[in-house]
This record gives sequence, structure tokens and C-alpha cells, in this order.
Amino acid sequence: MKKKLFFQSAVTATILSYLLIFIGGLVRVSGAGMGCEDWPKCFPDRWFPPLSSDQIPIGVDSFNLTLAWIEYGNRLFGVLVGISIIVLTVLAIHYYKTNYNNFRSYPSLLFSSVLSLIVVIITGLLGAELVWSVLDPFIKTLHMLFALALVSILSYICIKSYKMINAKLFRGLKKNPILSKSLIFLWVLIVIEILLGTGIRTNLELVSIENPSLPKGEQLNALSSYKYLHSLLGFGLLFFSIYINYHLRDHSLLLAKQLGYFILAMVALQIFLGELMVFFDLPQLTRLFHTWGSSWLVGVIIILYNCMKNE
Amino acid sequence: MNELNKKLFIAFLIIFSLGMIALLVINTATNSKIQDLSPKYDVPNFELTNFNGDIFTDNDLINKITIVSFIFTRCEGACPIMSKNFRDLQTSFKDSDLVQFVSITVDPEYDSDSILKSFSNQYSNNDNWYFLRGDILDIIELSEQGFKLSASLLPGGHSTQFVLVGQKKQIRKFYEGIVDANVMELQNDIVTLINQG
Repeated sequence: MKKKLFFQSAVTATILSYLLIFIGGLVRVSGAGMGCEDWPKCFPDRWFPPLSSDQIPIGVDSFNLTLAWIEYGNRLFGVLVGISIIVLTVLAIHYYKTNYNNFRSYPSLLFSSVLSLIVVIITGLLGAELVWSVLDPFIKTLHMLFALALVSILSYICIKSYKMINAKLFRGLKKNPILSKSLIFLWVLIVIEILLGTGIRTNLELVSIENPSLPKGEQLNALSSYKYLHSLLGFGLLFFSIYINYHLRDHSLLLAKQLGYFILAMVALQIFLGELMVFFDLPQLTRLFHTWGSSWLVGVIIILYNCMKNE
Repeated sequence: MNELNKKLFIAFLIIFSLGMIALLVINTATNSKIQDLSPKYDVPNFELTNFNGDIFTDNDLINKITIVSFIFTRCEGACPIMSKNFRDLQTSFKDSDLVQFVSITVDPEYDSDSILKSFSNQYSNNDNWYFLRGDILDIIELSEQGFKLSASLLPGGHSTQFVLVGQKKQIRKFYEGIVDANVMELQNDIVTLINQG
């Protein structure tokens, strides 16, 4: 068996999961969430959405073929992610049983693989609940938070298995406790920032359900002042990322420095996208990349943190 | 180009393509929604009476966004759900004077003005919801020919659909009035019509 197989499988699952978050965000911003009104089937008696409008069953009203396929694309891609994680878990169990490549010294890889499988199943079930509840804003947020948990776990598996096959690279790295603690703190702050952001989105949706004729610009005004906290913390994160990059400046590992730059650039981009949304009436594409970018941050900080850690 | 620049370039290319694909999908979705709402049929001329005795004609649909349903007050299955959904929509759009609601009884013999009035009191919380009655033959014709809704074996066999009528008296879209997802969609579509002006 190839030495790298587990790592490659982890990277595949991670990339697919990130793409799935992108597609999920696309479903949300294009308003295609109810494209299929049943789950897992598209209609009660049909697995796939029809390909042309004359195949729409009688009695199904106001059916939109385009929206159905956007929503169904998310489900199909979700199945693909599920399969990739099943493969990952099976590999982890096999590696553990045979102690291939000294796998048993990394027991967390087995646990986290199994955990990722559990989390992906829960995320899928929340997707079902989302359809059954006719897009309850709270379930939407929960569905996304579980997706973030998934990419966090998968990112951890990626870096951990990378270290397993490239142990030499990481041997003799000097541990920097300030940096490690700062990264944990940054990750916690980012999660809080994401929760604040999803809070704003959830409340905007509740406002628009309650009072649909309110113009988009005024919907934001209807929210209480905690929305400023989101912007404020964003700028705080920017300064904090600069601080972390300052500590990374002499780091011997090139990957660590590159990830540091990535975090800084991504935080700056997020602030830019966030302000763009406020001042330009929430354009959908900006919203999509704002959400997606935050999911990248969550994973990349985990990778950087584990780069720093000596085994 | 060194290795890092190459990787950055590829990453940029991938993200750029994803953005383009997303833009295309969002655009297609938006267009499909507009297409769904395109005018389908003209509402024919009709003349019915509101429960307070006022005449209500097709001209009262002009410059308003109207949601139409066919119900009867003795109905125990779908009508209470349909009327509750109407009330929820009425509450949602309480700030908009563009939106109005029309419920036409398919049981005009029983549903007298006073019965319709007490039904109205039970559900409606504004004066923009009209409960109309008229000759049963006119109502059957209006349902079948005008709003393209089946009206066989009345009163029980009336349609449970809601009809969205635009400001130019044109039928825009049909919704299953007892399915939450459809009612939510109707709410969104009303917003779209309001924004279209």
C-alpha cells in the first residue's frame, strides 16, 4: 500500500468538503433551498428532479427546474463527500489494525476520522431537517456550523498525516509557546466572529420573514447594535494576525510562514468583503465568498497550529 | 515563474473560475424566478359582491398585487389552513398598501353576507381582504376559465391553490395553498413583484 494514501485521501476529503461548503453557500444565496420540497427524494415519488418541464409530476405546483437542480447538486456533492470520508475512515481503521507506517503512534488520526464520519452524517441530516422545516434560519446556521466543524476536523487530519509521512521536516522545530497560545486564541476569536456573523444573517432573515416588504438596506438597520461588534472584532483580528506574522518572521518552516501570510491576507479580504456587503446592498457573490473565506480561516489556523507542535 | 508564484496563480485561477461559475448559477436562478413570475393569462371581466354589499370587479385588481383563493366557510379540511395562511401573509404585508387578498366562496347559497362577515372577523385583521360571493355559475366559470382552477363537485371539490395576480390584472403564478414551502415562496414572490413596481 502506498505510504501517502491516507494523507491523499484526507486531502481529497478536505478539498471536497470545502467545495461542498461553497456549493451550500451558493444554494443559500441563489435562494434555491426549497428547490426540492422533499428529502432525500426531490418529490415524494421521485429521486431526481426532472430534466425538462414537461416531466414535472401533476399536482406539484410552482416548481422551478433550475432551483431544483441547484439544490439537488448540493445533495449529490454531499454524497460524494460522504463517500470520500467513508474511504478515509476505512483506511484509518485498516492502518490502525495493521499499524502500517507506525500509525498507532497517532491514535488521534483514527478518532478524528471516525468523528469526521459522524459529523458529516449529522450535517447531512441537518440538511434534511432544513428542507422539512422549510428553511428554518436556525437550522440553516446549525447546518453551516457542522460543516465548519467538519472541515476543521479534516484539516487536522491533513496536517497530522502530513507530519506522519514527513516527520523529518518537523523534527527539531523550536516550540514557541506564545505563538501556539496566540493561534488557539485566534481560532477561538474567529469562531466567535463567525457566530456573530451567522447571528447577523439569521436575524436579517427573521426580519425579512416577519416584514418581507422592508427594503434590504433597512433590514440591516432593524438589527441591534451588536452588528458593529462583528466589524469591530474583524479589525481586532486583523491586528492580531499581524502580531502572529511578526512572531512567525524568523520561523524555520517555510510552510508556517506561508500559512501566516495566508491568514493575514484572508482576514483583510474578509473585512473588505464584509464592508462591501454593508455598503452595496448585500450582493450575493460577496456574501458567498465572505462565508466561504471564513471557513478557510478555521481550517488553516488548525493546520498552522499543528505545524508548530512537536510530536 | 517560481514554484510559489505558480501555485498562487493556479489558486487564483481556480477561485476566479469558481466565482464565475457562481455568478452564472446565481444569474440563472434569478432569471428562472423572474421567468416563473412572467404574466400567464389575463384575468377576465367579473363582477361579484363583497360581504358588506360593495361591488368588486376585475378593475379592482388593477394597480394592486392580489392573491386569490376559492373557499367556503363550512369547509373543514383545506379552507381553515388556506385562510390561516392568508392571514399570515396579510400580517407579513401589513405595511404595504399594494397587496390585497380575495377569497371567493364556492358555496354562495349557504355563505350569505353575514356568514362571510363573521368568517372575515375570524381570520382577517385588515380591510384589504375581500370575501366575495355571486352567482354559482359565474363563480364556476371564473374559477375554471378565468383562474384555470378546477371547480367540479362544488363546494367540496374546489381548488386549494392560491393565484398571484400582478398589477396589470395578469395571472403570474399558482401555489398550493396548504403547503408551507409554497406559501413561503409566494411571500418571496410578492416581494419580487413589489420591488419590480
